[in-house]
Amino acid sequence: MRHDPELAISGPTRITVMQGQVYVGTGAPEVLTTVLGSCIACCLYDPVARVGGMNHFLLAEPTPGSGTVADQNYGIFLMELLINQMMTRGGVKSRMKAHIYGGGNMHAGMTRIGDANARFALNFLREEGIPVVRQDTGGENARRVDFDPVLGRTRCRHVENHAAPVAKPVSQPAARGGDLELF
Amino acid sequence: MSESIRVLTVDDSASMRALLRSALSSRGYQVSQAEDGVAALEWLADNGSDIDVIVTDINMPRMDGFGLIEALRGQSRFRDCPILVLSTESSDEKKARARSAGATGWIVKPFDADKLDTALRRVTH
Repeated sequence: MRHDPELAISGPTRITVMQGQVYVGTGAPEVLTTVLGSCIACCLYDPVARVGGMNHFLLAEPTPGSGTVADQNYGIFLMELLINQMMTRGGVKSRMKAHIYGGGNMHAGMTRIGDANARFALNFLREEGIPVVRQDTGGENARRVDFDPVLGRTRCRHVENHAAPVAKPVSQPAARGGDLELF
Repeated sequence: MSESIRVLTVDDSASMRALLRSALSSRGYQVSQAEDGVAALEWLADNGSDIDVIVTDINMPRMDGFGLIEALRGQSRFRDCPILVLSTESSDEKKARARSAGATGWIVKPFDADKLDTALRRVTH
């Protein structure tokens, strides 16, 4: 009997959301997945539009006055990008609900960057009026998160810390902005 | 010594407003802020003569950036006021819409504070 690889891959498309990225579901069967150490993944879902998305950020926001650009390494940029992309796909901010995961403090004795990231996410969502319906943050473990952006279902499992990618700033020229385009 | 530039930033994200206020205040700007287009129009009705440039987001509740720009360009006293869009959006369609509404220019987030400073000085001098 002939093996047909097309038939063998009949489940939802798995999309890995890497650090510095945002992905909003297209409406097709998809599972958004990521592995987190001290990083945070926020999953937003609008149950009426049935649209969901995930981001994955390394740090909260730049220190005021530091001159650092709030780029794709920072939650303050990736949260706004996620909300706006949700709205582009028909999501309405007042209907959105959030799940936040990650923020593990991976290295004992070092700055608890995971806790700071989780605090930022909670503060940001409170200021935006988006309720957090599920949260699994902190501790000392890495996590794997799977999110169905059509049904809004998430699964978060604790995994071995070596499964988490090394958290370090990424540079993606395409994500750089800030230049003035005069009309 | 030149007088500081008076800027109104319009953004529904409290975190983004805080970031903008910090970036611009530390560079000598007088910063006023509104959380959406409606709040901006209300503020400008009372304080409009005190502003040199407006920086607005696009996606906002109640009144978005396009609506704000159109409303301001319909008022004679804001016909020539520079209005910059600062948005995560970068599509040609959105830019064309902003241009036809009367925006002066477009800046894609993430913003670089030094580049924003340069842009604001460029459109106000």
